[in-house]
Order: sequence, then C-alpha cells, then structure tokens
Amino acid sequence: MASVLFRGIQTRPFLLYPSALLSRKNGVLFCTTKCSQSQTATQENQQTQMKVSPRTHTKKVEKILHDYEAIIGIETHVQLDTLTKAFCSCAYLYGSQPNTNVCPICMGLPGTLPVLNSKVIEFAVKVGLALNCNLSMNSKFDRKQYFYPDLPKGYQISQFDIPIATGGFIELDLPTEYGGGHRKFGITRVHMEEDAGKLLHSGNGSYSQVDLNRAGVPLLEIVSEPDIRSGLEAAEYAAEIQRLVRYLGVSNGNMQEGSLRCDVNVSVRPIGQLEYGTKVEIKNMNSFSAMNRAIDFEISRQVDLYSKGEDNQIIQETRLWEEGAQRTVTMRKKEGLADYRYFPEPDLPEVVLSEEYVDNIRASLLELPEVKRRRYERMGLSMQDVLFLTNDMNVADFFDATIERGAEVKMAANWIMSDIAAYLNNEKLSINEIKLTPQELAELISSIKGGTISGKIGKEILFELISNGGTVKALIEEKDLVQIVDPAEIEKMVDKVLIENPKQLQQYRGGKTKLQGFFAGQVMKLSKGKANPGLLNKILLEKLNAKG
Amino acid sequence: MSTRVSFVMGVSSLLQRRCLWSSQWRVRNYSVRSAPLPPDLPLLAETARISLTPKEVEEFTPKIQQVINWFGQLQAVDLQSIEPALRADTEGDNLRNDVPETFENRWEAMLSAVPSFEEPYIKVPKVLNKE
Repeated sequence: MASVLFRGIQTRPFLLYPSALLSRKNGVLFCTTKCSQSQTATQENQQTQMKVSPRTHTKKVEKILHDYEAIIGIETHVQLDTLTKAFCSCAYLYGSQPNTNVCPICMGLPGTLPVLNSKVIEFAVKVGLALNCNLSMNSKFDRKQYFYPDLPKGYQISQFDIPIATGGFIELDLPTEYGGGHRKFGITRVHMEEDAGKLLHSGNGSYSQVDLNRAGVPLLEIVSEPDIRSGLEAAEYAAEIQRLVRYLGVSNGNMQEGSLRCDVNVSVRPIGQLEYGTKVEIKNMNSFSAMNRAIDFEISRQVDLYSKGEDNQIIQETRLWEEGAQRTVTMRKKEGLADYRYFPEPDLPEVVLSEEYVDNIRASLLELPEVKRRRYERMGLSMQDVLFLTNDMNVADFFDATIERGAEVKMAANWIMSDIAAYLNNEKLSINEIKLTPQELAELISSIKGGTISGKIGKEILFELISNGGTVKALIEEKDLVQIVDPAEIEKMVDKVLIENPKQLQQYRGGKTKLQGFFAGQVMKLSKGKANPGLLNKILLEKLNAKG
Repeated sequence: MSTRVSFVMGVSSLLQRRCLWSSQWRVRNYSVRSAPLPPDLPLLAETARISLTPKEVEEFTPKIQQVINWFGQLQAVDLQSIEPALRADTEGDNLRNDVPETFENRWEAMLSAVPSFEEPYIKVPKVLNKE
C-alpha cells in the first residue's frame, strides 16, 4: 500500500547571490521531495522576477484597476497517486516508454468493461473531507462524450450531476512578502474522473502521435467558487491545493509533471455592478507564478477594454498564456457550450459511502496545513516562520518532533529554517534523508541554551550531525568542545594574546578600537573556539581599556 | 462500437434535454410533459461523426422521430411522488483492489492491430480542436 510520493526539491538555478540566500531566513523554502522542482508560489515569483523584468502596468491601467474587481474561479485537476489506473489494473509510471502501461480496458477496445479502483474513492473522500465538503453518500459516474484522438473510448468517465463532494472551502495565508492576509475560498465541487492519453503534435503538421499510458489514470477535479480576486490569490490557492494533496498523500501535485493542472476563468466588472462580466478561460500555465502573471495580464487586458468602452470585445473564449511573450492570446472562440451528451455510465454501479467508512477516513486524517498554521501561530512563531515550517509536512513533523523533546520553539525554528534548510538546498536532499535526528537537534539546542557549548560550536556540530549522524554528547566529548566559561581561564588567554601582540595593543590604545575584533579572534583561536564569546569580550574590553 | 452507441445515446439525450433545465448540474424536473422536439438530424450526425447524404437525412428523420416517440411514452408516468433513483441497478458496488497487473500481450493482442502505428506512438490525423 506504499504510495511512492515523488516530490520536488527546491532548486534555484538562477540564484545570483547565494550569500543573500543563506542570510535570509525565509529565503530558503524547501520541500522534502526528490526529482522535479516544486516551489511555493512566492518562491517561484521571486525566482521569476530575477530572470524576467517585471511587467509594469501602464499608468492609466494602474489607476483604473482600482475601479474594477476581478472575479476568478479555478478548476484544478489532480492526478491521484494510486498504484493502478481508475478502471483497470495497469500501473501508471510517469516517464515510461509510450504505450507500455496499457491494456484493452484503458485502450477502449470493444468488449471491455471498467472496474473501479477502490483507492480512488478513498482518496476522493479524503480530499472532500479536507476541503470541508458535504459528501454525497450516493454518487454516480457519467459519460462525457466527445471525439478526440487521445480519448480511446470516445467518452470520458466522469461525474456530472451527482459528484462525490460539494460545497466546501479552503483557507490559506498569503505570504508576508506580499502583504500577508488570511483568505477563505469556496469549493463548489470535487469529483472523480479519468485522464485522457497524451497527444503530441509532430513538427511537420500532417499527423499527430498518441501515447495512451496516461489514459485511464484517476483524476480528481476540484472546482472553486469564483471567490478569487487576483493573480496572487490564485497562485496561492493553487499552492495550497498542492500542499493539501501532498499532506494527504493522494498526489505528488507536480505542475511540471502534469499531476496538478489548473484552468482559470477570469472576468472583471466595475465595482458596484451586480452582474458578472464575460468570463474568459485561460489555459497553458505551467507554474504558480505563470498563473499569477497570466491572470494579472488578463485582468489588465479586460479592464483596459472596459475603460475604452470596448468591453463588448471581451468574448467568452479560451485564451492561451504565452510564457515567452508574457501575454494571453486567443486559442479558439467558444461557440456556445459544448454538448457532451452526459448520461449515467451504464457499466459502473453507484458509489455508495457508509457513515462508518467516512468516519474511519476522517479519523485517519493527519493534521492539515490550516490547522497546523494556526497551532504554530499560537506557539508564538511569526507568520513568516509559520508559512515556512508548514509548507512541507516532513519539515513540520521534524519541527514538531524536535520541540516535543523539549527544544525551545523559536530556536528550533531558526535552526531548521537557516542552517538545516541551507544544507538541504545545497545537497538537494529532503529533511528525511539527513542523518540529523529531531532528538539530536533538541539536544544541540539545549546544550547551547545551557551554556555547555557556544552557538558557533553548535553550528559546526550541526554540520557534522547532518552529514554523518552521531550524537551531540559524543561529539562534544570526542572533540573536546565544551565551552570555557571560567573567567580565570579566559583571563589567562587574554593576557597571553595581549602580550604576544604589543603592536596591535598600542594601536588599539592609540584609538584603533576596531582591533578589538582582532584580539577576540586571537583568543578564540587560542581557546580552539571554546571561549564563551560574551565573557571573552567582557574580559577583553576590561583589559584593553584598563592600563594606560 | 462507440459511434453507434453514441448515436443512440445522442437520441436518448434529446429526451433528457427536455428534462434537464440546462447543462448546469441541477436537480432534474420530472414533471415536464410535452411532445418531444423533432430531431435535428444533421446536428445529430455531426455529434456522432457519422456522415449522411441529404437523402439519408430525409429518410432517417421520421424513423428517429418514431424511436423518440416510443421512448416518449415514458412521459405518461406520474413521477411526482417518486424519489429519483441515481441509477437503474441495485447490485451494490464492484470494486477492485489497487494492485497492479501488467497486460502481457500488448503487441499481439492490441498494438499490432492499430491501423497506423509508428513505434512507439499511435499515429493519428492532426486534430487541433476538441469538439
């Protein structure tokens, strides 16, 4: 029953100033997942802003944006991380040779019948509960019929009028670097369906190629209420959905792999107007930051037309986001609503949930991101820290384990967010892969707090613990790292350094007070780094300013 | 198989469209009673991707009308006090465990029968727009 969770690591290929990265606590958001990149919306925004010059609104558009409100709704397709497809026992392995994960059922060959994978229901219920939805204890599948080369049966098995979950909501916190704020967005529905195959258009244009590996892979479609008001909110909504499905273990939620896909509907209306404006669909956004930029562009485009009195030029259509040109373009005009001739799937029975089944799943749910964020807030952590620590469940678990063993909250947070995060990013590892245990981190923190070792020594030990494991106690003993806190001993060392450096001493007494650092460094060296810095400087200052 | 079924189901969906208020997913209103609309055969053929000659359109329209009317007899049933069933069967679920099984005979049984297979892809005419 092990679901292999492919999650991405934080990679920052375009990072220009690595030192800046390490000194900013919040700059190193990371996920404990391998392979492809996965980032929060903020991380992506920051990265993109370094390589693409910021798109500036014209002054005119800036001004009138305030008079309009954007109404945005998002449809998200999440590929479920089950071992087999939705209606047949084929495995689905991303990256397999084309047309190797197929069988007569998912190829839609005559005479085959679909059989539902029980895991799909379980995952759907998990997501429905996590999104605070009402579950339909009885739901059904329908056929959504259309012809397209990547749809083997000529219809997609989906849920039309009785989806498994309806009427929920999701809560999130906007990143502090964008002003922060708490948001609650409605969820209209969640339903189960199957994915289509992959269609590749060949270069010369006369034919296309179909790979049916993906055909039949289970999807959950999550439809939001049109409660979203900006590109930023949309990107954070998508990031939270990603966070949620990863926390639940139902999907790896990788936009790059295609296991998380978002289609956005955008309309604007003058503030105060009751009727909605014309809705435009936007496709082809491959990252959270692309969603953000695409939506902001589209809002500007629509507002601009409104302001010129040309809002009748806004038509209900599908537009594509062009990453290169940073704009949306017409893909095709929607000639009325598509007629999918929905009817109940005759080959599949009703999906019936029992109270017991749902209760069991509800009881098995682990602490979800929103609940965790509120708990961390109550612990006294800043919102910045909260967002960092809860972004990845494994990091949060590590943090929880560390403070459970008595470590002080703020210190634990700092260690994880700075030194440990930096190491993970450099080595491209997940927090589960390092040899440092929460127990030892707690031990390290209490050793520093108790004065046994200095903070600086602590950092050195940390590096050792992360890469080679071991215990704090053993390392302290082995390397003789116990801090020197005996004033007499420090005095002796200070005296020795002052005697050995008469020239600098003279310079100091002549006015070059910056040389205190030099002396401090020398004493540290002499003490092999073990002198308590506070005490050292106190005694040093006394001695330096005493004579003469 | 799918075009024939789709054609038949397209017909029955004409009936359904009388019942569903719109393509929004809302509660069905089963109290509507009126004669079914005459079928738009060119549209029907288009959605089923079946080409018909004008002669065939003329020939088939009354026949399909008859099929619809035959189904239409169901509208005489009073459903006011009946709780709508989601589906026709009462058999209970038919679920499968999430255990992978490889279909071994891919080439012989399936891929070798694909009309134009250009290893490893299925070659198809270029179609840009869905529906």
